[in-house]
Amino acid sequence: MRSSRPAIDYNDLVKEDRIHGRVYTDPEIFEEEMDKVFHRGWVYVGHDSEIPNPGDFQLRKMGRQSVIMVRDEDGHVRLLLNRCTHRANAVCQVERGNTKKFRCAYHGWTFRTSGELLGVTYSDRYNESFRKEDFGLRKVPRMGIYRGFVFGSLSPVGVTLDEHLGRPAKGQIDLFVDLSPAGELDVTAGVHKYGYRANWKFQIENSMDGYHPNFVHQTFFDNIKRRTGANLTGVFASHSVSLTRDLGNGHALLDFRPYNKAHGAGLRAALPTTPSGNAYREAMVARYGKERTEEILTSGGTHLLVFPNLVLIGVQIRVIRPIKIDETEVFLYPTRLKDAPEDINITRLRGHESFYGPAGGGATDDLEMFERNQMGLSAQVDPWLYLARGLHREYEDADGTLVGQVTDEVTQRAIWKQWKKVMLQGSEAPARRRANGTARRAARA
Amino acid sequence: MLPDRHHIESFLYREARLMDSHAYDEWFALWTDDALYWIPSNDDDFDPHRHVSIVYENKARIEDRITRLKSGAAYAQDPRSRVSRVIANVELEAGENGEVTVYSTFNLTALRRSKMDTFAGRTIHKLRPDGDSFKIAYKKVILVNNDEVINNMTFLV
Repeated sequence: MRSSRPAIDYNDLVKEDRIHGRVYTDPEIFEEEMDKVFHRGWVYVGHDSEIPNPGDFQLRKMGRQSVIMVRDEDGHVRLLLNRCTHRANAVCQVERGNTKKFRCAYHGWTFRTSGELLGVTYSDRYNESFRKEDFGLRKVPRMGIYRGFVFGSLSPVGVTLDEHLGRPAKGQIDLFVDLSPAGELDVTAGVHKYGYRANWKFQIENSMDGYHPNFVHQTFFDNIKRRTGANLTGVFASHSVSLTRDLGNGHALLDFRPYNKAHGAGLRAALPTTPSGNAYREAMVARYGKERTEEILTSGGTHLLVFPNLVLIGVQIRVIRPIKIDETEVFLYPTRLKDAPEDINITRLRGHESFYGPAGGGATDDLEMFERNQMGLSAQVDPWLYLARGLHREYEDADGTLVGQVTDEVTQRAIWKQWKKVMLQGSEAPARRRANGTARRAARA
Repeated sequence: MLPDRHHIESFLYREARLMDSHAYDEWFALWTDDALYWIPSNDDDFDPHRHVSIVYENKARIEDRITRLKSGAAYAQDPRSRVSRVIANVELEAGENGEVTVYSTFNLTALRRSKMDTFAGRTIHKLRPDGDSFKIAYKKVILVNNDEVINNMTFLV
């Protein structure tokens, strides 16, 4: 079915302490990633607070595939492929909105927001072999939602979302969401969209990199020091008590809790002792109790990668969208906290804008690094990238996570372990659909 | 009193020249202390306290921006973009106490690492008289591409 070229042996490309540059430059590997990582595994699509009312929709991508995340008439979240079942017209032509139905402009077929085919124009030219029930907008085969985070899988079989996330990653998502006194995120504050001409994996590796900030973001830290006196370089030095964690399944974490505990930093200290700071703390204690509130505020959020395409960082939900082997889009959704005082939500927004976005004072320098990396990869006398930092010191924690210091490459190695495992899957997708659109469980070795 | 069109256009051309030539300190000196610099994201207008902006800066934040750009260690501008823009379609509205609201369009070409990008849009300035010139109290830039992927807009717009 595919080319008769021998399969790529990913064991040759990903070693314990190094990876081969080809993983960032080979278009054939990118094609396999689209198939094995993005069109089979669990992929983050959107947050259900982005579609609060029936008929609300957001147009997203899963790998290459255009997917409509919509709340149907009965209030259920649906993930529908954006393709008319007649002759493949992309029925949804705007990125976000509200609609009573999806109508294909080409021949006027209409679909309910649940995906059901409602009306076929001039249907008298079809005979009784045509059944409307067979022609609803195709659903993403599996969907799972955790704390409002909607994930989809284009494969009908595989591990459950729960199994994919695992306890440690779910616990970190909880810390992010539980900053809200209502325990809910509100993701209606718009989106920053940036892009860069380099491979998508640089973005997820960098999001989990605690080694680079003192160098790449020195000017940003200098501004903070000049303005407030706070020196953040201690957070990211090799003597910092902050940690890196491999949470399993490719998920990774920069863990600042030990630093926050030791230095009184984190949200607890950042909360001004103003009326709204006190009101916020009281609302949090009322919902979560003193001990859990302390835990939440000390953590001050999270700094988490959910493999492959979701990062929770700062106040944002970050979604990585691979376009080509050397072209990537990244969408950043700053989050509001439901029932938090308004000035806290405003401060979150202003803080986000200062670092992130295409004119931001921090993230833009990261993108520059990714493009310089892609340029450097053209030199191939030595094709290896060295990822051994902290390898001799990593240890397993009581919660089963693998731990290193914050400047160690535990987190990058976590990503590559999962990537190799996923890419070593066979090239046949796990199940085939019958002609009538129903799935058959795979009969494969 | 009607604002003098030539005077205001000269001011806009000067601001454009300072931005094009990366004259950060001179450009910073054009702002009032209660400055607001706003580049909306995703749409042309919304409540900036409830919706993210590409830029939403008071004078202190503008100062942070130019401090970084002057440092030489803002890697997104290393190498620096070469920028050239045209300002046109200027319309004026007199306000109170000599303040003027100025509407204009711009078309900007930025070259970086052999790739040329065009940015275009509409700018709304609120200018306050300052001696025989003006200072900028408010600047809103409505980009044609404010709901698109933008790779690098770290030069002054």
